Amino acid sequence: MKKKVIILGSGPNRIGQGVEFDYACVHCVWALREEGYEAIMVNCNPETVSTDYDTSDKLFFEPIVYEDVVNIIESEKPVGVVVQFGGQTPLKLAVPLQNAGINILGTSPESIDIAEDRERFRDLIIQLDLKQPESGIAKSKEEAVLIAEKIGYPVLVRPSYVLGGRAMRLVYDTAELLEYIEEAVYVTEDKPLLIDKFLEDAVELDVDAVSDGEDVLVGAVMEHIEEAGIHSGDSATCIPPYTLEDQLIEKVKEHTKKLARALNVYGLMNVQFAVKDDEIYVIEVNPRASRTVPFVSKAIGYPLAKIASKIIVGKKLKEIVPEVFEIKEKHPASDFVSKEFKRYSIKEVVFPWTRFPNVDPLLGPEMKSTGEVMGIDKDFGLAFYKAQSAAGQDLPEEGNVFISVADKDKPKIIQMAKDLQNLGFKIYATKGTYNFLKENGVDAVLTSKLSEERPNIVDKIRNGEIQLIINTPSGKRERSDAYYIRRAAVMHKVPYFTTVRGAYAAVEAIKSYKEKGLDVMAIQDMNL
Amino acid sequence: MAKRTDINKILLIGSGPIIIGQAAEFDYSGTQGAKALKEEGYEVILVNSNPATIMTDPEIADKTYIEPLTTKILEKIIQKERPDALLPTLGGQTSLNLAIGLYEKGILDKYNVKMIGANYEAIKKAEDRELFKQAMEKIGLKMPKSAVVKTMAEAVEIMDWIGFPVIIRPSFTLGGTGGSIAYNADEFISKVKSGLEASPISEVLLEESVIGWKEFEMEVMRDKNDNCVIICSIENFDPMGVHTGDSITIAPAMTLTDKEYQMLRDYSIAVIREIGVETGGSNVQFSQNPETGEFYVIEMNPRVSRSSALASKATGFPIAKIAAKLAVGYTLDELPNDITKETPASFEPTIDYIVTKIPRFDFAKFPEADQTLTTMMKSVGEVMAIGRTFKESFQKALRSLELGKYGFYAKLENASDEEIKEKIIRPTPERVWYIAEAFRRGYTIDEVHQMSHIDKWFLNQIKEIIDLEKEIASKTLGTIDADLLEKAKQWGFSDRELARLLKTSEEKIREKRIDVSYKVVDTCAAEFKAFTPYYYSSYESLVGKVEEDGSIKLYRDSEN
Repeated sequence: MKKKVIILGSGPNRIGQGVEFDYACVHCVWALREEGYEAIMVNCNPETVSTDYDTSDKLFFEPIVYEDVVNIIESEKPVGVVVQFGGQTPLKLAVPLQNAGINILGTSPESIDIAEDRERFRDLIIQLDLKQPESGIAKSKEEAVLIAEKIGYPVLVRPSYVLGGRAMRLVYDTAELLEYIEEAVYVTEDKPLLIDKFLEDAVELDVDAVSDGEDVLVGAVMEHIEEAGIHSGDSATCIPPYTLEDQLIEKVKEHTKKLARALNVYGLMNVQFAVKDDEIYVIEVNPRASRTVPFVSKAIGYPLAKIASKIIVGKKLKEIVPEVFEIKEKHPASDFVSKEFKRYSIKEVVFPWTRFPNVDPLLGPEMKSTGEVMGIDKDFGLAFYKAQSAAGQDLPEEGNVFISVADKDKPKIIQMAKDLQNLGFKIYATKGTYNFLKENGVDAVLTSKLSEERPNIVDKIRNGEIQLIINTPSGKRERSDAYYIRRAAVMHKVPYFTTVRGAYAAVEAIKSYKEKGLDVMAIQDMNL
Repeated sequence: MAKRTDINKILLIGSGPIIIGQAAEFDYSGTQGAKALKEEGYEVILVNSNPATIMTDPEIADKTYIEPLTTKILEKIIQKERPDALLPTLGGQTSLNLAIGLYEKGILDKYNVKMIGANYEAIKKAEDRELFKQAMEKIGLKMPKSAVVKTMAEAVEIMDWIGFPVIIRPSFTLGGTGGSIAYNADEFISKVKSGLEASPISEVLLEESVIGWKEFEMEVMRDKNDNCVIICSIENFDPMGVHTGDSITIAPAMTLTDKEYQMLRDYSIAVIREIGVETGGSNVQFSQNPETGEFYVIEMNPRVSRSSALASKATGFPIAKIAAKLAVGYTLDELPNDITKETPASFEPTIDYIVTKIPRFDFAKFPEADQTLTTMMKSVGEVMAIGRTFKESFQKALRSLELGKYGFYAKLENASDEEIKEKIIRPTPERVWYIAEAFRRGYTIDEVHQMSHIDKWFLNQIKEIIDLEKEIASKTLGTIDADLLEKAKQWGFSDRELARLLKTSEEKIREKRIDVSYKVVDTCAAEFKAFTPYYYSSYESLVGKVEEDGSIKLYRDSEN
């Protein structure tokens, strides 16, 4: 008789927990079958491959809640249950199942708890001599103000207890903080407010790694295209990092390995870092499959979820991927490929803006995207161009660009504006940005704001006179001109960027596309 | 076996990123399709821009392109790979639209690529309003009355013919802006006027409203010899007016008489033949006037759809896999059913359980968005549950949603009567819990039907659940008898809900209640032996077995 293992799926798709987790579960099923186990899948989502009866040895189409899961376990008597591939849905059950005497395979629920508990996690970071952004927990309004002022603005605030809707917010001063507390949350003894220092203009990194308790291999270090402050699930992401020094990337890998060993990870782990002024900060650790696992697996040509699944039933990395240990000079961003690896993989996301006409189509700390695409090329610009095109934004080769950015971003756009002009674009701007560009020697066409004479900028977008929009928010959320500009861009399908780094990547993409054009290649033909 | 030998290389197009309305179901269908074609020895070329899919894993197709889904890029891939055929029906609307684009730009002809499954004419006929209407008229099926008008005079002329309420849709506006419903002649004049103004070409479509009618879907398949089978009938719990993707749906249809079901069966087959989908699956949607019983055809999708993924999981019949095999020349009678191994795919599935699908929404991420459910889909995911009764199936689906609700209870005791009524009249994701609360407060089935137009059979089922809930709540863990507890489990009550009603813990309920049984999804209601281990839980009654010594052993049957 084969030993049985139960894999818990990810339940209904929702924003933040989508098809990526089903992908990981299916890989786990395949790996366990390869290892000679009877793989039993439990899931209730009819859209998925995991609920195809062809995928597993046994399929239970059941709710993923304690009662129904324990029923199956009692009836099937597996040697263990896998909870690390289906996102939060099975993870929530880890402790209750363990308390019921059920064996959880892979990373222990104890380690998961250390990673999720703020206090315990902070102790670990200190113990490992790593850095975290300063933070605090406020149990009253007054305390919140004190902490925020001590840490220094801007700060990211969120209730420890989230009841739908309004959650995380980036706050720039005390007035804004008080406003947030008044309108959005109650801060009390048992429902405190979490406050984190926001590292403005930091570069964010995501790392997926796999560990067998002895060896840790980093799948990839990814650099977010958008700067800190945008939810990692909504950020475009590049493998390998494209603006950072190799030395720093190596350090990030080291930190990741330290964390994996300290948390005694068996299987997958995802770490988010922020880099500011060459300092590396740990933002978050999740000792489980992340949403970037399929993307990384495809970028490096190794199925991470499958490898992790073999680990949790006792195999070692040296047995599963011996060839990886033979690589002489590893790539700074991945342990699975050599230094010679020359390919950019960029993940971009898509949003449901057109379905929700009243919603501001703006990136922020709350995840809002529903899905993702990938662009692959040897050239960074072309990979970004493909990713944009796949996400439904074909970048223009010529025409008019409208630029309107927050004051803090203005100095950063001079070079970009010049680059765009050299590429043959004409720049349109409203007064503030227009004056700034003029002072810095960039020609632009003055165009009127919504409140000024018509045709204003929104009229121009609607009339198809603008081919690209670069518009960064000023920080406060309001129904300003910017909101109407962004809505018009969405409804008329004009490519638009709301971050400076995103805009730079777009300019790079246009440049590469105009110079080289596009080519296609099957993943089976890519020379890893 | 009549497998086509004139083609070797087949191009499959995926559905791209997950968006509302086009989700993981096309990874399921594309993966099945690619595997089926490879199994038959064809070389499969796959294009999809979404890396988070199983179909883009390097082992699934022979050549996998993770590239943007645009005709420009597809032309490059076609030029490089020179496929013999394109199967456009497994990748949702995205794939179908790209196939149309490639055909209209002459790219398919240029590289001599044949469309298989559904051809250009069939796709056009199903997708073009006017052509579809003509096709339906030809086979004697009714559609909601509609007409396109360019002036107020034309509109007034046909106003009485269409009747009220009438839906006004301006042509060529983005996101349905300017659309409205007129309930009387005065409203009609002003709303048509603003509709004409909103339309850049001053044109509106006037359409008879079927809001509040019952809604059904049929999954039908056809092979090249014109054999047709119905895989599954699906009934929408939410009446017309709510997008099918946002509706709670039940399979098989619950409230049709056999005669009506046979009519829909005949209509569906007539539709797939007239539209000319040569091989593969289609989804046909109908609405029924609850007063007269009259059926209208609403639309048909000449491809594998969200509903066919659901129908596949609900019946065990793999629609996408069979569609791929039919596309390369097999016929339904030649293909074996994987589950029974004995019966061919030409056997229509029979099911001896009830399936409930409930959509999952994520409005918390978009607090400014209007939560009213309309004809534009807003849900981001879904759950399905299987039970031996409607009640069990529905309650299991509710707890599958992971919304912290383990049944029909949602802490609505403090809601005002106005709120209850408003939330029943205006469909939102929470409607079923408000309906349950209304029954707790003594509302009648007629009253709730008046407000929601949901079929009384469904409402009666919910009311019976609430009545049982009240009975249970009058007991304690000590006083509840075994029969009542068994009945509650068979009606799908969760341990959590029972613990709440009996003021005890989930663990205590677990100790006291009967054990679960597992049943097999077998496509044939146990007529043949099933070889695929696909299970759902239920609570069986005791059955007796005579032992050799003459004693009777009582047990609850489980098939896992």
